[in-house]
Amino acid sequence: METTQFVLPNVWMGVGVVIALFAIFYYVGWVAAKKTTSEEDLYAAGFSIGPVTNGLGMGATWASLATFMGVIALIYKLQVPFVYLWIQWALSIPLLTLLYGTCLRRMKAFTPASFIKVRYGNQAAMVIIAWMCLSMIMYALGQMIGLGLAFEVLFGLPYKYALIIVGIATVGFITLGGMYGASYNAAFQMLVMTIALVVPMGAVMKAMGSSGWWFPPLAYGDMVPQMLEQIPTFFDMKYDYRWYFALIPAFTMGPIALPHLAMRVFTSSSVKNARWSVVWFILFLGLLFSGCYTAGFAGNYFTATTGNEIAKPDQTILILNVFYNPTLVAAFVIGGAVAAGMSTIGGNLMAIAGLIGSDLLGILAPKMEGRKKLRWGYLALGIGGIITILLAFNPPAFLVTSILWAFGLLATTTTPSILLGVWWKQANRMAMIITSVVCGLIYIIISPHVLSGIVVGKGLVAALGMSEAMLTVPLSFASFIVLSLIFNKMQIAAPSMEDKQMIDRIHGWGSDYDEKRYNGTIMPLIIVAVCVIIFIWGLQPW
Amino acid sequence: MKEKLYKKELFTTVLFIVILLIFGHSAQFFKLFPSAQGGSMWGFPIHYIIPILLGWFGLLVLTIIMAKVLNKLDDEMEQYIESIESGEGSQKNV
Repeated sequence: METTQFVLPNVWMGVGVVIALFAIFYYVGWVAAKKTTSEEDLYAAGFSIGPVTNGLGMGATWASLATFMGVIALIYKLQVPFVYLWIQWALSIPLLTLLYGTCLRRMKAFTPASFIKVRYGNQAAMVIIAWMCLSMIMYALGQMIGLGLAFEVLFGLPYKYALIIVGIATVGFITLGGMYGASYNAAFQMLVMTIALVVPMGAVMKAMGSSGWWFPPLAYGDMVPQMLEQIPTFFDMKYDYRWYFALIPAFTMGPIALPHLAMRVFTSSSVKNARWSVVWFILFLGLLFSGCYTAGFAGNYFTATTGNEIAKPDQTILILNVFYNPTLVAAFVIGGAVAAGMSTIGGNLMAIAGLIGSDLLGILAPKMEGRKKLRWGYLALGIGGIITILLAFNPPAFLVTSILWAFGLLATTTTPSILLGVWWKQANRMAMIITSVVCGLIYIIISPHVLSGIVVGKGLVAALGMSEAMLTVPLSFASFIVLSLIFNKMQIAAPSMEDKQMIDRIHGWGSDYDEKRYNGTIMPLIIVAVCVIIFIWGLQPW
Repeated sequence: MKEKLYKKELFTTVLFIVILLIFGHSAQFFKLFPSAQGGSMWGFPIHYIIPILLGWFGLLVLTIIMAKVLNKLDDEMEQYIESIESGEGSQKNV
């Protein structure tokens, strides 16, 4: 079997497409910079983004280089189970919006940590800011390394020079435009990446002999029989049932707490528009994701029918386009990959800036005047970007091993704090801090990335954080609830009347306070019982 | 009225969480009941295409319903709050 590597026949076409895209990103950033005069503008685009633009922006922020390249590689290697893993990512923003997004939009929070600060106090906020910054750096680092590698291939430059060029160019337009620029650029980037992924796949499918080329995301069914002849196991539901269930604690619960996704909800022009943004998000993301599955399928089909093995599965989409499409189309697909990486870095850096420049600074220097805070915000945005570039030169192995692993960490440390904080008046500050720190450390310790001698689960399941999350996510919810009940009984850090009134207010009750609302104990205890069952299940050998 | 609105908020939230999880994780159904994996649709094995469709169009329809139902609930809550505040205002005037 021959191995195929990606080589763009005409490099200058690729360079031209990338330069044209950067020109547009900078123009949008420059226009947006003129609109940014306050913290609300910098971190939340003045709470003014409409549903369609925001839906596109949500899709772009969520869909990263991993969607464009990584998942296709995983489908190429591991086939259908990874399609299932990817499908459930679409739940992130609908669940986030339903469970707390609209509540926090009502209080005009910039990040979820802004809520944690008000609900649980400064110490708790610092714990959550630390976890969120770690996850955002892991996320942005993965994207930055991916972009550096893409530019290395495209320009034929050594990785370090490619990284400096793409890194500074990317951080520049994001810092220039703030959240206004990030929002409008993300909407544009979503259009670019969707067109670049889906449309050329139609031509690839036509060349492969499929009659469904007119709608690549769903019309490649006629290629299935030939695929099954070559790879009979492609559609097999490998792994046991627990693997599929573990997707919920590891990968559904984690993204709920991703600050860069939450910030997209907060930029909405109203609470109601935030909900309509979710509808557009699902429409656009579904199209993009389904295009990914098609590309993953086509990569396998390509190998099975032509005998060409793809040397670097990350490059599947690029190789298919170089192999079957004209150079200009292949160059545009590179543009799509670049857009995918940039939109996510934009979201990550905005989140880091919000967490450091607004939330952390609000704790350390609460009386700082608005204009000065704005300058610090820009500084945090730029410094966050430079740190990401510097880390990408020689990345610590544990930071890039798996971005997906960080989702389980967030599900353990942060999701319970936000959800119980919003929906349960008895959620206790001390219980939150202890649970977040202890369960987060347990998650890190039992994963294979730090202490390889103490691991729960094995292989990919452990590397992705699935076996760890099956233990620490239910442990975190259960211990938070139980400790809250105990501490409240002992009058340790019990929620104040102000905390409780805030909960009613963010749910839309205004000044109509009712002590009984969101204050039960039966439902939390049922959750504890369910968590104990999942925890015991997770303890069984993988 | 407020008790009814509160229960409605909790009920709709729990209901939508459950349906969202079912639509986003529908592949689990085929793993739990392997006999359901038999058929095909549009040329694809049913256990492949159904999760993709539910994860896209299923969620799309559900989020439209969510937006309509929850926005209506917001309107009802706003009306309730306004009625309380106007009641308080008229009492003060008296």
